[in-house]
Amino acid sequence: MMTTLLPQLNFDLGELADRVRKSLVQVTVERSGAGSGVVFAGDGLVVTNAHVVSGNRRRPPGSGLRVTLPDGAVTAAELLAKDDDLDVALLKIGPGEGKLPELHPIEMGDSRALRPGQWVMAMGHPWGVAGAAAGGIVIGAGPDLPEAPGAAKDWIAVDLALRPGHSGGPLVDHRGRLIGISTMMAGLEVGMAVPVHVIEEFVARVLAAGDAAAAEDDTVLV
Amino acid sequence: MSKVLPDLSDALADAVASAAGGLVRVEGRDRLPATGIVWDAEGLIVTSHHVLERDENINVGFQDGESAEAELLGRDPSTDLALLRTSRRGLDTPTWAEPEGLRVGHLALALGRPGANVRATMGIISALGKAWRTSAGGPVDRYLQTDTVMYPGFSGGPLVDAQGRFVGLNTSALLRGVSITVPAPTLDRVIRDLQKHGSVRRAYLGVGAQPTKLPDAVAKELGQETGLLLVSVETGSAAEEGGLFLGDTLVTLGESHLRHMDDLFNALDGDRIGIPITVRVLRGGELIELTVSPVSHP
Repeated sequence: MMTTLLPQLNFDLGELADRVRKSLVQVTVERSGAGSGVVFAGDGLVVTNAHVVSGNRRRPPGSGLRVTLPDGAVTAAELLAKDDDLDVALLKIGPGEGKLPELHPIEMGDSRALRPGQWVMAMGHPWGVAGAAAGGIVIGAGPDLPEAPGAAKDWIAVDLALRPGHSGGPLVDHRGRLIGISTMMAGLEVGMAVPVHVIEEFVARVLAAGDAAAAEDDTVLV
Repeated sequence: MSKVLPDLSDALADAVASAAGGLVRVEGRDRLPATGIVWDAEGLIVTSHHVLERDENINVGFQDGESAEAELLGRDPSTDLALLRTSRRGLDTPTWAEPEGLRVGHLALALGRPGANVRATMGIISALGKAWRTSAGGPVDRYLQTDTVMYPGFSGGPLVDAQGRFVGLNTSALLRGVSITVPAPTLDRVIRDLQKHGSVRRAYLGVGAQPTKLPDAVAKELGQETGLLLVSVETGSAAEEGGLFLGDTLVTLGESHLRHMDDLFNALDGDRIGIPITVRVLRGGELIELTVSPVSHP
């Protein structure tokens, strides 16, 4: 017998995607593609992957950065700091000429309390498809994941397919709280995310400074 | 938002947590460890044959972080199963699901313990089918395929249902590119053989055969369209001792009609070893009867 359970589940999933989409941005670097990002704080802080904003030989990191906000507005952004080892970058979007629209920072979750099996959703712009959602569960979290890149680094492995364009986008729990930043794939069907506690430590370190402490640990202040 | 999604998320994580005690890490190869299932409270562990690349120096890691050396009691490559014994007693034994309760579309979790902690992937039951035979000839009681991702080191781990009850043992080695679960009844049967004999006993004739169409008159008389044409007979084999020749067509073995290769496989179960049995053969257009005594499969 069919119950109302699945319609309710679908309703919840739709609500969740709508809520997270309010904090989802697209990060583009002039002439070299795009990734995703998430509004971290109301004063214009956006978090993404370092590899999304990396420069190349002709262009230093941080130049030509644009952030597309959930309402479609495009704004210039400044690269505050990035850490290539953690693959995390902190951007600040500027008001530019016009007034900055109201931002919806994402609610923070607890990536240290993740349980294998719990529901997660990744949002981003895979293959350029704006605001797409992918659902799955936590495979595991921590430093002892098989075939995780970078020995002894904290990762969240998720049972969902991340694709180019997902990078830097939010990975959220069943209540829409940020638990990680989608970063790469390990095989076709397993996604790897940087846990939010790693990102919070990084952001705190950057904000605590301009001072020498923030420049340690491979953090490049620019 | 209703409570359905949070409840689902909690229920899935609870299912993983409740199953975790029944999963062990199996270290039997140089690269990544794999997974095993606690079979009983007396220290028996079932795992995949293909993840044990050695017969000795096998270690098993438990939920509580302890580990113990394991003795290999036996392997059955044909179903990709192996049985280990550890000195550990009083382990939590998993709760097994009634196989009849499964339906295509049900949620299922594949679990593994390639490291210290249990890991999970989720999918649904993709296909349920009849008994089938692996390419190595191993009989499996039921075809059970899921769309769960076999994360590295998941072979030898369980498929569990939404309540955390064990359904079978997952392996990535029986069919390429497909997540196949060996169901509990097959585990039961193979483990019993491995415990008793160290291998799954199968009777052996020493022939190679292929199905072939029988002449109309013979087909009518026997009530079967096909028989098994012998394309090889090993020297010194039970088949040769019994007088079988290359080019003979087998039509019955004991009471069993031999229409397809499966019929011959099924007729050669372990109980036949060493017991003379009548085989009917079509030779030169004549049906004749011979007696063979199958030996144990080498």
